Amino acid sequence: MTVEMASQTASAERATEHRSSSLARVPAAFRLHLVNRQLIWIPLIVFGGAWALSLGIGLWAAQLEPAGSGPDDPVYTGSGQAALWCLAFMAAYSGSHTFPFALALSFSRRVYLLGTLLVFLMIAVCYGLLFGAAAALEEATDGLGMHTYSHALPFLVADGLWVAGLTAAAVALMLMLIGFGATMLYRRFGVVGFWAVLLTLTVLTVVAVLLTVQAVGWDGFWGWFGRQTPLSAAGWSGLVAVVMAGVDYGLIRRATP
Amino acid sequence: MNAVIEVDGVTRRYRSTTALDAVSVRFEKDVIHGLLGRNGAGKTTLMSMITAQEWPSSGGVRVFGQHPHENEQVLPRICFVREEQQYIDDARASHAFAAAAMAFPRWDQEFAEQLAADFKVPEKTRIKKMSRGQRSAVGVIIGLASRAEVTFFDEPYMGLDAVARQLFYDRLLADYAEHPRTIVLSSHLIDEIAHLIEHVVLLDEGRVVLDEPVEQLRDRAVTLVGRADAVGELTAGRTVLQHEAMGRTARTTVLGGLDDGERRRAGELDLDLLPVSLQQLVVHLTSKAEQHGQSGQREQHERNA
Repeated sequence: MTVEMASQTASAERATEHRSSSLARVPAAFRLHLVNRQLIWIPLIVFGGAWALSLGIGLWAAQLEPAGSGPDDPVYTGSGQAALWCLAFMAAYSGSHTFPFALALSFSRRVYLLGTLLVFLMIAVCYGLLFGAAAALEEATDGLGMHTYSHALPFLVADGLWVAGLTAAAVALMLMLIGFGATMLYRRFGVVGFWAVLLTLTVLTVVAVLLTVQAVGWDGFWGWFGRQTPLSAAGWSGLVAVVMAGVDYGLIRRATP
Repeated sequence: MNAVIEVDGVTRRYRSTTALDAVSVRFEKDVIHGLLGRNGAGKTTLMSMITAQEWPSSGGVRVFGQHPHENEQVLPRICFVREEQQYIDDARASHAFAAAAMAFPRWDQEFAEQLAADFKVPEKTRIKKMSRGQRSAVGVIIGLASRAEVTFFDEPYMGLDAVARQLFYDRLLADYAEHPRTIVLSSHLIDEIAHLIEHVVLLDEGRVVLDEPVEQLRDRAVTLVGRADAVGELTAGRTVLQHEAMGRTARTTVLGGLDDGERRRAGELDLDLLPVSLQQLVVHLTSKAEQHGQSGQREQHERNA
């Protein structure tokens, strides 16, 4: 054994004898999700692709209008949400692929989940910034000169671009945690358990809605949604995200590879 | 002796099966253990319990004196790559090694790269597109280069050809000599790993049927070769594990060692005494249940063999 190797061994032994922080490997768990960067570039492609598609449709619609038929009405599209569903799917997919490997790398489930939450948070913030920037661009250029708005939607930008971005980020985080939770639900209870839980949740939701409608009527029910602002939507999404983070830990604690 | 893994009365039940049944076993520090048993004997389940990937229905597991479940003081010191390990989709071997380098405090990147070259693991191929043997090699490399104080190898040789298997055994022994650690090898190729292991734990239908140093096992059985009547004289009344007759020559393996008197007599009768392979012993010990049920057929089969 060379001197260098001996010193390496000695320092390694000291490192393992020394009581290390239980969170020391969270950065490693964080980077586990970014090993192949699919979690970043696939949603980016969907974001750009959906936007381009909606612009193409806007352009086509504008050409159908007879020339000089008066001022164009702005066209609002929902393509901004395509990336959201992509993120939810990618979060589920990332969970299903990194979890078994994370266990092989001897991460505790807690450390793995904390690393995962940090990655999702980072991606949600990036998505929010991108969404806000896209909305700003649409506002500045009158829908890229085509009157087509996919991000600067009236409800979302009512309180400004920053709030629109915050709302987009909160919704993205919530959907990613739901997607990830779905994977862990499957890992924890298998396919039958997965659908049993999903059906139970659906029934409970329907019953809750019916009881609410019974108490306040349909107007009261829809009226509540109508009264929400972008900021309150961000708040509700954030709340669901926090609850889902807890649910995810409950599921992952006893999930097997 | 210094046990790093203590398994006490661990039972693991799945819906209709009992994978482990009141298993109590200890794994000593810096010893290479063989964890043997047939398919479904509970080997992978036991390793999963110890590494906190699963948990017992009852009983307890301690590693380095602590419960391993969700314990970051214990887990970074353990490495368990499964037989059919799932890797990150589209990841190459270098990605997997990079992730392992971040996870294991004693990881040796240079060693990993050397092993990858030795095993001829393709650099540009995604792991899921690799052959079975190449995928096994990735797992073996992570296990070796992690230098984890407790390392499990779950059927590490699957798909590896004879040359690659020998390479694994050589590298394992060489690295173990420089960096002693607790190694648990689960394997079907018992005779192939017999020279590596110092201690055997044999599972059968979820129970420990053998937990002994390999040295002691050598006295568990003996094979006598020589004139059929002479062999018969010394093996009469003993449990016969295997019997072959070729003309007037017989080769019989019996349970239990010979005492000094019997050894002298064997010398007088010009019989050869051969040690019994670990594999033969294991086959015998794990087929007791079937023997009870089909002893007639089995003896017939052994005589024909």
